[in-house]
Amino acid sequence: MSSQKKRTLKIDAFKHKVEADPKFFDKSWKKLEDAIREIYNHNASGLSFEELYRTAYNLVLHKHGPKLYEKLTENLKGHLKEMCRSIEDAQGSLFLEELQRRWADHNKALQMIRDILMYMDRTFITSSKKTPVFDLGLELWRDFVVHAPKIYGRLVDTLLELIHRERMGEVINRGLMRSTTKMLLDLGSSVYQDDFEKHFLEVSASFYSGESQQFIECCDCGEYLKKSERRLAEELERVSQYMDAKTADKITSVVDKEMLSKHMQRLIHMENSGLVNMFVDDKHEDLSRMYNLFKRVPDGHSTIRSVMASHVKESGKALVSDPEKIKDPIEFVQRLLNEKDKYDEIISVSFSNDKTFQNALNSSFENFINLNNRSPEFISLFVDDKLRKGVKGANEEDVETVLDKVMMLFRYLQEKDVFEKYYKQHLAKRLLSGKTTSDEAERSMLVKLKTECGYQFTSKLEGMFNDLKTSHDTVQSFYANLSGDTDGPTVSVQILTTGSWPTQPCTPCKLPPEIVDISEKFRAFYLGTHNGRRLTWQTNMGNADIKATFGGRRHELNVSTYQMCVLMLFNSADGLTYGDIEQATAIPHADLKRCLQSLACVKGKNVLRKEPMSKDISDNDTFYYNDKFTSKLVKVKIGTVVAQKETEPEKLETRQRVEEDRKPQIEAAIVRIMKSRRVLDHNSIITEVTKQLQSRFLPNPVVIKKRIESLIEREFLERDKVDRKMYRYLA
Amino acid sequence: MLGKGEAAGQAHLHKDDDGGEQPSGVVKLISAEGFEFVVDKKAAMVSNTLRNMLTSPGGFSETREGEVRFPEISTPILEKICQYFYWSLHYSSGKETSEFQIEPEITLELMMAANYLDT
Repeated sequence: MSSQKKRTLKIDAFKHKVEADPKFFDKSWKKLEDAIREIYNHNASGLSFEELYRTAYNLVLHKHGPKLYEKLTENLKGHLKEMCRSIEDAQGSLFLEELQRRWADHNKALQMIRDILMYMDRTFITSSKKTPVFDLGLELWRDFVVHAPKIYGRLVDTLLELIHRERMGEVINRGLMRSTTKMLLDLGSSVYQDDFEKHFLEVSASFYSGESQQFIECCDCGEYLKKSERRLAEELERVSQYMDAKTADKITSVVDKEMLSKHMQRLIHMENSGLVNMFVDDKHEDLSRMYNLFKRVPDGHSTIRSVMASHVKESGKALVSDPEKIKDPIEFVQRLLNEKDKYDEIISVSFSNDKTFQNALNSSFENFINLNNRSPEFISLFVDDKLRKGVKGANEEDVETVLDKVMMLFRYLQEKDVFEKYYKQHLAKRLLSGKTTSDEAERSMLVKLKTECGYQFTSKLEGMFNDLKTSHDTVQSFYANLSGDTDGPTVSVQILTTGSWPTQPCTPCKLPPEIVDISEKFRAFYLGTHNGRRLTWQTNMGNADIKATFGGRRHELNVSTYQMCVLMLFNSADGLTYGDIEQATAIPHADLKRCLQSLACVKGKNVLRKEPMSKDISDNDTFYYNDKFTSKLVKVKIGTVVAQKETEPEKLETRQRVEEDRKPQIEAAIVRIMKSRRVLDHNSIITEVTKQLQSRFLPNPVVIKKRIESLIEREFLERDKVDRKMYRYLA
Repeated sequence: MLGKGEAAGQAHLHKDDDGGEQPSGVVKLISAEGFEFVVDKKAAMVSNTLRNMLTSPGGFSETREGEVRFPEISTPILEKICQYFYWSLHYSSGKETSEFQIEPEITLELMMAANYLDT
C-alpha cells in the first residue's frame, strides 16, 4: 500500500526536528506515566487526549515503540499489584465486590490507555506481532490478579460456595455472580473453563451424587423424578442467569448422570412405585415425566420400552391363560380392548406418541394374543355379540369405533383363517336368524376385513349377503305364483349356495306334515325355474312363529325350527317322553336336549312342563303341555340356549377343518413359488411360503414339508438328483 | 488520493464498539496558528484519532470542551483536512465520486497529518 512510501518520507522529516533532545524518551514517557496514574485514579478530566496521543505518536515514530511497550507493561504490572493487594485485603463477602469494582476500573482505564496509545497499536504492534494494548491488559489482569496465589483459590471457592448456598435455597447476589463469570469469560474461554467450569462441574457431581443417594433412600419413584426434574430446571436457570450458555449441556449431563443414569434401574424397578406400578395405576403424569427424563439417559427409553413390553406380555399372558377369564368370550375381548386402550392412551399422553413404543406395544399384544389359540374364535364372538345386540347407545360412529378396535386386535392374530372360519359361522347364524341389527354395520365390518386381507378373504362372506337377497326375491315370486291358496302355514326360504356358507352336516329332521306340504310346493317351484340344482333343507338353522293358546290366553311364540317340531307334537298329545319326542322328530340328540331345555327350563318361557323338575334334560324325562304358562307379552320369543363358545369336540372339529383348509392353500403357494423359481432349496421354500401366507396364518414348517412330499408324489415337483435338498418344478 | 478513501473505510471497521453512538453537534479544531475550524462531529469522526478522542470513556478535556488543539498542524493543512472530512463523508455515503483536489506543494505535509489523524 501507499503507507510504505508515506512512512519513509515522514520519518526523514521528523528526525531532524527532535532527535536533538537525548532525554526525549524519558520526558515523553514521564508524561504518559503520569497520565496513566491519573487515569487509574479516576482523574482523567484534566488530561488532553491530543497531547498524550501526540506524545505516544512521536515516540513510536522515532522507533521507541519496543521501549514504550516494555515500559507500559511494567507500569500496568505495578498498578495491578496494587489493586491485587486491596482485593486480597477485602474481607468475607466483600471480596467479590472488591474484585468486581477493581475489574471495572481496570477495564475502563485500559480502554483509555488503548485509545491514547492507539498509534502504537496500529503500527508498532501489528508489525512486531505483539499483543495489542487492551489484550495485554487483560492478560496481565489474569496473571497478576486472578491467578495471584492469594486470590485464585479464594475466587473459585467463593463462587462454588455461593452456588452451593443457592442450591440449598438461599438467595445470593446473582448480579455479582454474573459479572464475575463474565470477567472470567472476557479473559478467554479457557480461563473460564479451567478456573471455574471444571471445578463447578466436579463439585456439582459430588453434590448430586450425595443428594440422589439421599433421595432414593426416602422417596418413591414418582417423587424422585419430580425432584430430579426440578433440579434440572434449576441448573438450567442458573446457567442462563450467570454462566456461559455452553455450560448448560455440561451441567445437565452431570445431573443426568448422577441423578438419573446411575439410579435408572433402581427407579424403574422400584417396588410399589416403579414403572410397572405407574402402568397399573395409570399415572400419566409420572410416566411422561419418566419418559422425558430418561430421554436424556443412554438406553433410557429402550429400558422403559422393554419393561413395558414385558409387563404387557406378562399381564396379557395372565389374561389369556386365566381359565376364569376366558369363560366369557365377550368379556375376554372387552378386556383386551380395554388393555389396548389403556396403553394407547399412555403412549399418546405420556410417551408423546413415540413410534418405537407403539411398535413394542403391538408386538407384545401380538405375542400374548396368539398364546391362546381360541383368540380368533373369541374375537369373532365379540363381533357377533356387538352386531347382534347393537352397541349400547349405538349410533353409527360408536359401532364404527368398536369395529375399528376389533380390527386392531384382528391384525395381531396370526391365524386369520381361523377367524375367518368362525366369522363365517357366526355371520351365517346371524343372517339366518335375522338377528343382525344393522345391515350397515355388517357391511362396514366386511369392508374392513376386505381392506385388511383382500378380496379372497371376504368373497364368500359377500356371497352370503347376495344369497339372502336373491332368496327374498324368489320367495316373493313363489307366493305371487301361489296366490289363492294361502291357507296353512307360510314358509320363507333362504337359498344358500353350498360353498359360500359354512357347511354343517345335518340330518334333516321330520317336519310336521303341514310344513312338509308347503316345502314340497316350494321345491317344485324353485326347481321349475332353476334347472339342474339340488335343494336340501337345513332344518337346524331356521325359525318359526306359531300361535298357541294357554288356558284361553293367546300367545305368539317365536321359536326355532326344532322347537316348532317339538311343540307341534303337543297339538295331538299332552304329555310325551323324551324318547317319544326324539323318535317323532329325529332331531339329533344334543340339539334336542338344548331345544327342550329352552322350552321347559327357562323361567318365564316354560311353555312345557317337565317331570321330574330339574335344570337338566335326561333321557327319562317326560314333558307336558304347560297350560299355566303366562306372560305379559303377546309375542314370546323363546331363544335356544345358545352355544356361545364351542364345546371341546366342536373346537377340535373346527381346528381340524381349518387344518384341512390350509393344505390346499399351502400347496397352491408352493406351486406358485416353484413355477416362477423352477429350482429352489427346502429352506427357501419354507420362508417364501411363510411370507406369502402370513397375512392369513403362520404355516407350520412340518406341515409345509408334508405338502411338498405330497406334491412330489403327485409329480408336481421332484428332488434334484445331485443335491437332495433342491426341488425342481415339473411342468 | 483514493488511498485515503480506503483508509477511512478501514477506520470505520477499526473502532466498531463506539460506532453505535450517533455523533451530534459540532467540534472546534484549532490549528498551530490559532485558527479555529468548527466542523460537524460526524465529519470529524472520519478521523479515527478524533473519533477516539471524542468518544473515549474517561472524559478527557477535549471531550468536555468540544475543542481540539493541533500544535503541529498548520492552518492551510487543517483547512484541507476539514475539506477532506466533508468530501469523505459525502463519498462514503456512496452516491457519487469526484476528484479530491490536492495541490502538489502541500502533499507531504498533508500525508503526515493524515497518518497522525489516522484518516
